[in-house]
Amino acid sequence: MSKLIVDELITQTANRLFSEICSHEAIQNAETVGEAPEIWAAYTETGFPWISIDENLGGSGGTLLDALEVLRLVGYYAVPVPAAETGILGGWLLSEAGFQVPEGIVTVLPDQGPDLAIKVDGSQVSITGSAIRVPWARSAEIIAILFHDNGNNYVASVQASDCAITPMTNMAGEPRDTVRFDGVVCSYAEVSKAIDSQSFRFRGALSRVALMAGAIEKMSQMTVSYTNDRVQFGRPVARFQAVQQHLVWAAQDAALSRMAAESAAIEATRGNGAFEIASAKLIANQAASRATKACHQAHGAMGMTQEYPLHHYSRRLWSWRKEYGGDAEWSQWIGQLAVAQGADGLYPLITGGSRVL
Amino acid sequence: MTKAALNEESIRKALSEFLEVRTPETRLTTMGAGSDDLEGGKSYLQSTAKHGWHVPSWPTQFGGRDADNRENALIGRVLKEFIVPDLYPFAIGLGMVGPTLLTHGTVDQKSNWLQPIATGQDVWCQMFSEPDAGSDLANVAMGATQDGDEWLLTGQKTWTSRAMWANWGICLARTDPSKPKHKGLTMFAIPMDATGVDVRPLTQMNKDAHFSEVFIDEARVSDALRIGDVGEGWRVAMTVLSHERAGGGSRGGGEGTTRGAFVPNWISDLETFGVLQVPVARQRLMEIHCHDLASKFTSQRASDEARSSGVPGPAGSGAKLRTVRSYKERAYGSNRLAGASAMLTDGHGYIETMTAPSMSIRGGTDEIQRNILGERVLGLPGEPRLDKTASWSESRKGLL
Repeated sequence: MSKLIVDELITQTANRLFSEICSHEAIQNAETVGEAPEIWAAYTETGFPWISIDENLGGSGGTLLDALEVLRLVGYYAVPVPAAETGILGGWLLSEAGFQVPEGIVTVLPDQGPDLAIKVDGSQVSITGSAIRVPWARSAEIIAILFHDNGNNYVASVQASDCAITPMTNMAGEPRDTVRFDGVVCSYAEVSKAIDSQSFRFRGALSRVALMAGAIEKMSQMTVSYTNDRVQFGRPVARFQAVQQHLVWAAQDAALSRMAAESAAIEATRGNGAFEIASAKLIANQAASRATKACHQAHGAMGMTQEYPLHHYSRRLWSWRKEYGGDAEWSQWIGQLAVAQGADGLYPLITGGSRVL
Repeated sequence: MTKAALNEESIRKALSEFLEVRTPETRLTTMGAGSDDLEGGKSYLQSTAKHGWHVPSWPTQFGGRDADNRENALIGRVLKEFIVPDLYPFAIGLGMVGPTLLTHGTVDQKSNWLQPIATGQDVWCQMFSEPDAGSDLANVAMGATQDGDEWLLTGQKTWTSRAMWANWGICLARTDPSKPKHKGLTMFAIPMDATGVDVRPLTQMNKDAHFSEVFIDEARVSDALRIGDVGEGWRVAMTVLSHERAGGGSRGGGEGTTRGAFVPNWISDLETFGVLQVPVARQRLMEIHCHDLASKFTSQRASDEARSSGVPGPAGSGAKLRTVRSYKERAYGSNRLAGASAMLTDGHGYIETMTAPSMSIRGGTDEIQRNILGERVLGLPGEPRLDKTASWSESRKGLL
């Protein structure tokens, strides 16, 4: 079993690196340009993108828990790079299929277009159709696609340069491109039965939970600090109870989503964290809605401007809460699971989580 | 047309000669979110000003039609049946400066400024907020010193919406720093093209640049441009703000009519996302819709009260709280229910979501509106304050 404590050195190194390379201007610039090659280069030098991927396959080793800690800090600093896609999503799919992970950016398809068709032809597959909202497809080297055929699961490793990519962006200005496959031919390999579209969805949600927990925490801290500096009526606005209420909401949501993210990360690293991941995504989605409202209100007009960095976080949270399952999807999943436990199973589910399932 | 003949039918008939009727399909922008259309508003105002349809309660010679409260309200209601362009660029003049001039303006000021406001020829902006005077508006530091029959203004304004379109600004300045902060203020009108006035647009997170900073360096303003007495600036500012809250005069924009179609556009627009059959979504939508209706009635009440008393009261604060909450809930609700595709910048409800947080901030925050209601309606004790008596030069350093 993996060790269930994050290596302190990872947290320290990530904090140091991100605080150096992710200034407000750098994030803003990445949004204008549509990518951030210098930030990506600095990020890859640490080996962070490939934590939790086998060293024999080009990874950096380490645990899923370590990788999620880096993602939390990517969220905390709004680092404008495809960290989740290259690592615990795309890198994971490739390495599970026995592919070497490439040096460049890897991305995945969070949502396949209805017309996406993958045809197995001997040692290769041919892909036709399209996919939408693909993170950083424009900068990717490989697009890793999970698919099913004849009762088995496979991963196709597509050269992004073989596809037609239309740049699109999410609310935060992060690339979410439309990718068109026009009979693209590529290699593929089988993965275990456990890696199916559902487990991929959970893994996607887990990645967003980590990012969101980081972003909410940063937003909450920024708001406390701004309201202590901002003087109106002869005192810092943080001294007014009406403002303190907003600060408390944001702080609670930061604590709540981080706790949920950590327990999901631990259970997922242990082997099965489905219940914790579903709960954590729902909690993070709801926390994001409340905390963005509270932080914006406490900032007043300043928080609405481009020149002040609050929007890097609020706009990311508004986007991420929709990725890999919104409130309705996860509420339904949890609801069905809870009902299936019966009256006597509900309390054990709440206290024991995935381990009692 | 004689005034006695005015009824709903005759108003409708007169308006239909130059305005198009709204249908359930009508989609208009609101509050300047994504709209930079000055020409639409201008040509609408030019056509209405001839018979004073847009600002009926104003005197006829200034672009109104001397309408009494009943007629004014009636015209407002019938006007809602027609397509009125987004008057966001003109809202300060029509809704706030105009009514303020009617109360505090000199005869010359009324004759010079009201007509061009009514016809859309002049665009006004409101130069109140400063970096250190937002919610604490009375803390403005923009200095005005008298020099013969002129004033020299120096300082910085911020969050000045519409400044890049405006040819006039209504500007709150400090004429006597030795008086307590509410007492040493005076209101001026500033020509935006005056020497020393520099407008720098501030880009907002929704990419909109309607906001500006305005730097003023020794701009010369004639004493004839002073609105109200020296030292009476706060009282004039309060008149402006109460009209802002009441939202009077800034009619225009909004949704298509719901006459004959009971489902409002913002709900029927969600049909393509397949959520209208989902019980949880329906419940949420109806909660918001009910709040919307209550909010509309509250606003109607506030503006009726303002019209019949001539002075907008604290009901406007209640109306603003409700209207803002309605906007935010609709924006967030639509965006959430529209699912993953709504995360994109061309997704459903993008502009509204990115604009929503500002609604409970601009024009007086929710917290300030609740303070007004607490103190003026419920009679609750105010916050402990020392700045009412100490001189501004002392109190600005912080007394608590």
